[in-house]
Order: sequence, then C-alpha cells, then structure tokens
Amino acid sequence: MTARLAGKSALVTGGRQGIGRGIAEAFLAEGAQVHVCGRGNGNDKPEGVIWHQADVSSAASVAELGPAVGEIDILVNNAGVQVEKTVVDSTDADWELIMGANARGVFNCCRAFIPKMTTGSIINIGSISGNVADPSMALYNASKSFVHGLTRSIAVDHGPSIRCNAICPGWIETGMLEAGFALAQDPEKARSDALARHAVRRFGRPSDIASLAVWLASDESGFATGQLFTIDGGMTAASPLQPGLF
Amino acid sequence: MSRLSGKVALVTGGRGGIGRAICARFAEEGATVIAADLSEQGSVGSEAEGSFVRLDVTSEDEAKAAMTQVSEDHGKLDILVNAAGVEIEKTIEDTTLDEWNRIFAINVTGTFLTSKHALPLMRTAAKDSDGGASIVNFGSYDGFIADPQLAAYCATKGAVHALTRAMACDHGPDGIRVNAICPGFVDTPMLASFFSGGDQGAAMSAAARTEAENVHPMRTIGTPRDMANLVLWLASDEARYASGQLWVLDGGLSAQVQQMRL
Repeated sequence: MTARLAGKSALVTGGRQGIGRGIAEAFLAEGAQVHVCGRGNGNDKPEGVIWHQADVSSAASVAELGPAVGEIDILVNNAGVQVEKTVVDSTDADWELIMGANARGVFNCCRAFIPKMTTGSIINIGSISGNVADPSMALYNASKSFVHGLTRSIAVDHGPSIRCNAICPGWIETGMLEAGFALAQDPEKARSDALARHAVRRFGRPSDIASLAVWLASDESGFATGQLFTIDGGMTAASPLQPGLF
Repeated sequence: MSRLSGKVALVTGGRGGIGRAICARFAEEGATVIAADLSEQGSVGSEAEGSFVRLDVTSEDEAKAAMTQVSEDHGKLDILVNAAGVEIEKTIEDTTLDEWNRIFAINVTGTFLTSKHALPLMRTAAKDSDGGASIVNFGSYDGFIADPQLAAYCATKGAVHALTRAMACDHGPDGIRVNAICPGFVDTPMLASFFSGGDQGAAMSAAARTEAENVHPMRTIGTPRDMANLVLWLASDEARYASGQLWVLDGGLSAQVQQMRL
C-alpha cells in the first residue's frame, strides 16, 4: 500500500477521542507525522502521535502551540463541545464554552497556522446540524454554521496555496451520541428509531469520517476547496418524517 | 388595498387543490384571473374564482391556444403560475416508463410549454410594470430531500428547481422574474392520496396525518391559502427584486434534522 500522506505533517485538534482520534490514527496509518492537541495531559493519546497540551479557545494557548508544532501541511479543526439547550436556557458560560471551542477555536487555529502552511489542506469539522437544526442544540447548531461560513471564506482568501473544506458528520458513534441517547426516556427505543432513519441502517464510525479526511488531506483532492461534505449515512437526504409512517 | 389591480394572471392547475386557492387570492387582490385546467371543476369538483380556459399542459397545441385566447381577451399576461402537477407514490422499480414519462410531461414539460408560449405576452406586460412580469413555478421541498416512494415526483421537482433558475437567468433582462415555491405538506387531494398510501379516493388516514403534523415545528400542515399568500407576494410588485429563488414553505419541516422520538 502506498502511504497517501507520506512526508506530510498534520495537526489534529481535539484528537484524543472520538472523531479526532479516528482521524489522527488514519493519518498515522497513511504515513503522516501527526500532532494532536487537547486540554488534558495526553495520557491516553493515540499511539505514535506528538501530544501538545493546548486550549484552542485561548488565543494565547494557540500562540504557544504554533512554535511547538512548527510547519504543517494539514490542519484538522476537530475540537468541539456540545451543550443540549435552547437559546432561552443557554447561559453566558454556555456561550463562552461552545462558541469558544467550536467557533473561536477554529478561528484561532486557522489564524495561527495558515502562515505556517506553504501549501496545504485545512479540514474543519462542521456538522449536519450547521445546515439543519437539532432540537435543543441552539448554540451548537449556530457554532457549526459559523464553521461552514469560515470554511468558504478561508478557501476564497487563502487559495490557491491552501485548500479548506468542512466535513459535516451525521450521527457518529462517539461519546456525544451516547450522551444524546442517555437523555431519552427509552434509550433503546430511541436508538432503534434513529437507526431506521439512516438509509445505510447504521450509525457512522470515526473511521468513516477519517477516510474522507484522508482524502481531503491528500493530493488526490487537489481541486476540492470551499465545500461542505456531508457524511451521514443518508439521514439528511430523507425528509424528517417518521419512518414507516406511510 | 388591491395588490394586483390591473394585472392579468393565468394559473395552471387552477381548479386543483392549491391552484384554486391562488385564483381566489389573486381575485381578492384585484387581478383578472384565468384558471387553466383540464376541466371547469377540476380535481376538487366545484367551481371557483376566475374565468376558465381548457389546458392540458402536456399539449403544445393547447398551450398555444390558451395563450392566443389570453392575447385576444387581454393583450398581455403579467403573472403565470405553473401549479399543475401530479405525483406517483412509487419507487423507481415499481414505476413504469409510461408513468415516468407522464409525470415528467405534466410537472416538467408542462412548466416548459406553458412558460414558453406565455413569454411573448409576459414581455408585453413587463414593459408597463414597475415590478415586471412574474412566473411562479411549483417546486417542492421534495426537490431537496426525499420522501419515501416518491422517486419520480422528487426527480420532477428537482428539475423544476433547476429550470426556475435557468429561466430567471434568461428572461430577467426582459423584466420577467421567475421563482419557484417549494411547498411541504399542504392539505390537498394530492396529500390525501399520499396519506392513504396512493390509493386514489381512499379516506385520509387520520393517524398518519396527526403524526405528520406533529413532526412540523408549526405542528400543523399547510393550507392552500398559505401557499397562495406566498405566490401572491411573488406575483406582486412588492417582490420586484425577487428572482431565481426557491422559496420553501413547509412549516419548518425541512429546517430540522430527522426528528427522533426521544
């Protein structure tokens, strides 16, 4: 097998778990040098990555991260948080947390690392929730729309040397998904109902997202920029009605 | 206030569920309304506002004849609403070629033929109007996302969306605006058929209807008059800068992701 990212250096934010970890592991498998940053000490970091402790929501922290990581070819803005609240229930602290990580974090990292990328690919993790709304996820949904807008702006402003795309995952089997089901009155019923809404009849896996991230990071995708790529098992291709209703 | 006074409007499918509501709304606002349909009573089975002209939208001869009559009676056409449409509740495997060709003939070719032969009369109207002339096509939220077992219908509506943008590009310089409204669930005979599993004439399933209503953020399905109110705005001079757009009107249905019952 040819290593598709051989000779490339990547930074994946929030790569300790979930989708970010899947991406970091896939990049390693394709021959890239992979830097991962997170707020913790990296005790349970993926094997083989270079760990950096950093808080993407802090410009000062990201400014320190820059020299530590050095020049990169690939930036994956994956770090993100979600809070399940409506606008009315959201506090200023919720705003700081969500917009800090999901919106300002992406901005901070792009501002710090674009000058360190002679050529390269930025991959932002957007969401289907940035295009259509999940109930009681108001700030999260809005933060992902911000990511989608910034993605297009960076593609326009910093091409042709830098490409920038977003991946919009649907329901991926991560801690975030489990947290959602745990809120249900009947978590098992909620799970089977949700499955029925996916044309592929399964939820996504971090590896499903990672495979698209590898493509977007590689030179194979040299003409792809400024786009939002949804990968959701067909969920948002269908209308929001109850399956089996008709 | 008469928002369409002095305007001449032709509505295809003008005796159908949504079409007749548009005719009535236009008439309320002072337009001269021509309902074009297969029969005077249409699918709803009663008479309604406006004069009537026989039009099978799949026939180029009938499209020409209808426009000749409009020309003789009124000399211009300010507003064309392409509301004639049908749906087939089937997957592509179950859809015959004849069925496929028929739904495209009505939903897509019908929009093409009626618009094509209306354009000369609309150019005339646009010259004397601040807001230009206005064509309103019928897309659907199903042109963006799919409902099960409506494959050919979804495809026709996607085609109408693309045609709408193309027509807006081509005819905007002549003062003709072209938009599509994209209804979600609207209380019509077509929806009753959908709720009853495509069995024409069967009673609407009350349970299915309630279920569907509850999935909408507005907790209701739309009325033909809801659609007519948007068509009215697009047809009026207030919308003089609106062109080439797809106007989704679905009670918020497609603003959300799939609604899990948690």
